Amino acid sequence: MSRFNRLVLFLVLASVLMLIAVACAPAPTPAPTAAPPTAAPKPTDAPKPTTAPVATAAPKPTDAPKPTEAPKPTVAPTAAPKPTDAPKAAEPTRGGIAVIAIDSDPETLNLGLTTGYSSGDVASKIFNGLVWLDGNYQPQPQLAESWTVSADGKVYTFKLRSGVTWHDGKPFTSADVKYSYDEILLKLHPRTRTLAPRLDSVAAPDAQTVVFTLKDAYAPFMIQQTVFDAPILPKHVYDGQGDVTKNPANVKPIGTGPFKFVEWNKGATIKLARYDNYFEKGKPYLDGIVFQIIPQGANRSTALETGEVDFVVDFYLPKTDVKRLEANAKLTAKRGQGAPAIDFMMMNTRTKALSTAEARQAVAQAIDRKRVVDQSMNGIARAARGPFGDGFKWLLTPDVDYAKMYPLDVAKAKAALDKAGVTAGTDGMRGKLRLVYDSARPQFVAAAQIIKENLKDLGFDVDLQALERSVLIQKVFLDWEYDLTLQSFVSSGDPSIGYHRLYITTPTKAQFTNQTGYTNPKVDELLAKAATAPDVKARAAAYAEAQVILAKDLPSLVLFDEEGVDFASKKLSGVWAGIDSRDRWDLVWMPK
Amino acid sequence: MWFYILKRVAQALPLLLAVVVVNFVLIQLAPGDPVTLLVGDFPAPEEYVKQVRAEYGLDRPVAERLVLYLGQLARGNLGYSFANRMSVAELIGKRIGPTLQLMFTALVIAIVIGVTLGVVAARGRGKLADWIAQIGALVGYSVPDFWLGQVLIILFAVTLALLPSQGMRSARSVATGLDAFLETLPYLILPATALSVRFIALFSRITRSAMLEVLNADFVLAARAKGLSEGRVLLAHVLRNASLPIVTVIGYNLGLLIAGSALIETVFSWPGVGRLMFDSITKRDYPVMTGILLFVSLTVVIANLLTDLAYAALDPRVRYTR
Amino acid sequence: MANLRTGIAFSLIALCVVAAVFAPFLAPFDPFRGGADALLPPGSKSFILGSDHLGRDVLSELIFGARVSLAVGISAALSASVLGLVVGSLAGFFGGWVDGVLMRTSEFFQTLPRFVLALVIVAFFGSGIFKLIIVLAVLSWPPIARLVRAQILSLREATFVEAARLSGMGSLRIIAREILPNALAPVIVTGSLDIASAILLEASLSFFGLGDANLISWGGMLNVAQPYLRQAWWMAVFPGIAISLVVLSFNVLGDALNDALNPRLQETA
Repeated sequence: MSRFNRLVLFLVLASVLMLIAVACAPAPTPAPTAAPPTAAPKPTDAPKPTTAPVATAAPKPTDAPKPTEAPKPTVAPTAAPKPTDAPKAAEPTRGGIAVIAIDSDPETLNLGLTTGYSSGDVASKIFNGLVWLDGNYQPQPQLAESWTVSADGKVYTFKLRSGVTWHDGKPFTSADVKYSYDEILLKLHPRTRTLAPRLDSVAAPDAQTVVFTLKDAYAPFMIQQTVFDAPILPKHVYDGQGDVTKNPANVKPIGTGPFKFVEWNKGATIKLARYDNYFEKGKPYLDGIVFQIIPQGANRSTALETGEVDFVVDFYLPKTDVKRLEANAKLTAKRGQGAPAIDFMMMNTRTKALSTAEARQAVAQAIDRKRVVDQSMNGIARAARGPFGDGFKWLLTPDVDYAKMYPLDVAKAKAALDKAGVTAGTDGMRGKLRLVYDSARPQFVAAAQIIKENLKDLGFDVDLQALERSVLIQKVFLDWEYDLTLQSFVSSGDPSIGYHRLYITTPTKAQFTNQTGYTNPKVDELLAKAATAPDVKARAAAYAEAQVILAKDLPSLVLFDEEGVDFASKKLSGVWAGIDSRDRWDLVWMPK
Repeated sequence: MWFYILKRVAQALPLLLAVVVVNFVLIQLAPGDPVTLLVGDFPAPEEYVKQVRAEYGLDRPVAERLVLYLGQLARGNLGYSFANRMSVAELIGKRIGPTLQLMFTALVIAIVIGVTLGVVAARGRGKLADWIAQIGALVGYSVPDFWLGQVLIILFAVTLALLPSQGMRSARSVATGLDAFLETLPYLILPATALSVRFIALFSRITRSAMLEVLNADFVLAARAKGLSEGRVLLAHVLRNASLPIVTVIGYNLGLLIAGSALIETVFSWPGVGRLMFDSITKRDYPVMTGILLFVSLTVVIANLLTDLAYAALDPRVRYTR
Repeated sequence: MANLRTGIAFSLIALCVVAAVFAPFLAPFDPFRGGADALLPPGSKSFILGSDHLGRDVLSELIFGARVSLAVGISAALSASVLGLVVGSLAGFFGGWVDGVLMRTSEFFQTLPRFVLALVIVAFFGSGIFKLIIVLAVLSWPPIARLVRAQILSLREATFVEAARLSGMGSLRIIAREILPNALAPVIVTGSLDIASAILLEASLSFFGLGDANLISWGGMLNVAQPYLRQAWWMAVFPGIAISLVVLSFNVLGDALNDALNPRLQETA
């Protein structure tokens, strides 16, 4: 072979490589979000918020609800929302595409199957619930126009909005609601299926009416009617189409919401476009929403700063960047948004050293919770006050305050351990404890190091086990192979939805439940009462009593309350209408 | 030659089978259940967990699953991703483009810079330029590429704000075709640079030693004696001979390049196969994981075969034996 | 100048070894104990290289981190070399089906990139330091085995081996007494380069958050530094430099050994 031939061969090989690279490059996709010609808004036809229900009550301040403003299960829609969304300064204009960052591909866009955060983020724009929750957890009409509650709190009658259509043009009726409940939500939704044993029936007497009959009153019933817990899914798409979990609509959803699904580029973007026939006339304002998948937290912050992304919700932001982003003049920060969530350390009461309440109290006394907040959460959290944190002001009791009950005091903690029979050997050590946590969660990675340091002072040799999530679930919740573990629970709007599972007796091994081995019939009884009591006062009383017991028994030590901080580009207006900032994006607009 | 290729392919089949089997054994031994990740953050109903498990065949014994999988594979079906709810082949197909783009750009950068450095070093053998190029190559070979990626982000995306720090193109982009490609270029610079450094080092070392070998060879001396310009001698004789080891290095280091791109794709949020592989491991998305491992090993096998063929084609002294 | 280079590399390795062995005496602070002084820049409050997010001294962490890097690098390379020597000698000396089986096995390990396999195994089974060393050793022996096998094949017919065989020596004794000493040079060279790549591999895995949380390693430091890239560059820059320098030193050492022990050995990565 001549030298010339060799050169040719080399060039051919190189160009083949190049061709492969070009051929395999992702096919360019047309922009889905190009505004339809009709959408070009003239200044004069900027929609006025007249379609919103007539307001009778002034918008309440969005700060934490006072005890009296606690979620009232029996609230009737007399206090329909004033459109708090409409900014005072300017009238909303149409147009623009907002970019929202999420961390990974959602597992599904059928919110009836998952409580996954990114699924909720995307699908909440495509679907609706019967109601949405305003900044004070008050239910406001969405697919339901109004509702009434019977005096005993057992019968909820919803009047549905008329003229609502699915994205494929089919009309929305009460049959969709009944189907969603009977066939999907009560069977498959991880949270809402817990309603099944409480529910007698879901009936649809006519096309615009749905009646729920409960066996007993249930305080957070309305809280669970949002798009996140009870999205209404299209019966005509799912019914008779075989297995719901395998329906193609789970990745190409058809909803009633303000935006319709356009395209999903795995690992890159999910694109939604305005649904022109949305039932709130003139909304949504945006032409479309693009979800950009950015796996690294630091990159999500950077994308906000460079303007590549317009909105990032607290859940996806590294705490380390919060203070820098708050100082950024191009961004609006919103602290304390979202449902309360607590981060805690479960203690395995089957472990000998942790089997007594006194020993667990000693552990609590040795952990520097302020340092945990400062260094693992960068100060963006509140050191815990009690077994349910302090996110629900109405259930707090002066009798429980961890800062007073368990202030940092190593000497006292050591003495308590000695008394509890967890004595130190000649080397001053009291044994080994396994601390298990999710290696993908930076706040736990940092907190674990601090706790290891703290417990070493107490004489425990802490073996840190940073595990992958699936292994963690196996080891902690199914195999009980842990002594201490760091976890977090989100309340989902009511302690009885999200927090009870941390303390109530759990007969079966299930993930994200109380697997500490702690069981107390009195606590079970009080918490059951707190879930079903008809009014807030009675609920608070039950919670107060339960907290006193739990703060002493300490099967889990709550470390801190998360304090979410969302960030939006100043280009966006009308964000944060509801308590969950993923909700109500039909109200978001971009001033020109 | 065709017999040789057939023989090599036949040899590769048991290897690929071994990859699948070892993979299944690892999955069987591994703690953790993928179903726990698919049902959300709240305790899932027992029936639902069972249903999900049955849906993906996870309730069957591993041997049965292995046989089923191999049967599927024989029909060209890579299976179905449970975390992504789509076919594995389709998923890999969507993510392979960005990875190839990144790898190819990195290779081009590495060849251009690496070969230039190697030429400079060889021509100035023993002088300062050579010494610097050699040290540079060693440093490039030693610096962790993901760390270099971080430093590049700090320098060029954060401090100087010259280039985007992550992603492939703006999420707002509506460009198609060539425009889309051009839009990707600025996003490509930092990750491709970080990925290329190790290969710049490799190529410059190899070019240098290959050139030193031929610089004083008879045919080069002859070419010089014929009065050819130094540039032409370099291009026509020296570099052409150095191309052989470079092709070899690319071929045999493809696995390294793929592994490197997993790290780089993570640092720069590049939506490629490397990132998909890492995600599939953490999400216990076994079909995707198996599919990618299979894909990677197949690529390595093919690259090795092509490299051997190219080697034989470029160097007539090599015969198809072994 | 090559000598100068080798000298510097050797000094750096020596420094690293000293740091690792005498870490508790050299480190100005206990690297496992932090405090309120978090994220202080280099030079403040006697934190020569600054403090990390938990208020721990970065310099002390680097000194203790040398232990993990060296322990992982050297143990993994050593185990891999021993494994490679044994497998390679067996395959080379006995040939036949032994050779076939062993070489197919080594091909398997070479088909899948080491990093990918290591990632899968460590993600599945957790990441104690001993597990990590075993995984790296198991994944790194094939090139050494192939090298030894090739050496043995060429030595098997050598006259001195023939002489040993004729004088009635057993196979194993021939391997141990006559062949291995002669095949050792390339193994030492590859082994020293393997130390470098094992250190890099450990750093990569730790960077993915798959390191041993009970120890301080340079890769692990890079992992926790990631969210602090902008506030505290020193958390990422110093461990990165440490990894680069040590890896560089072992690479240079490998080069030097290559030149000294085996001038004929071609550099082919």
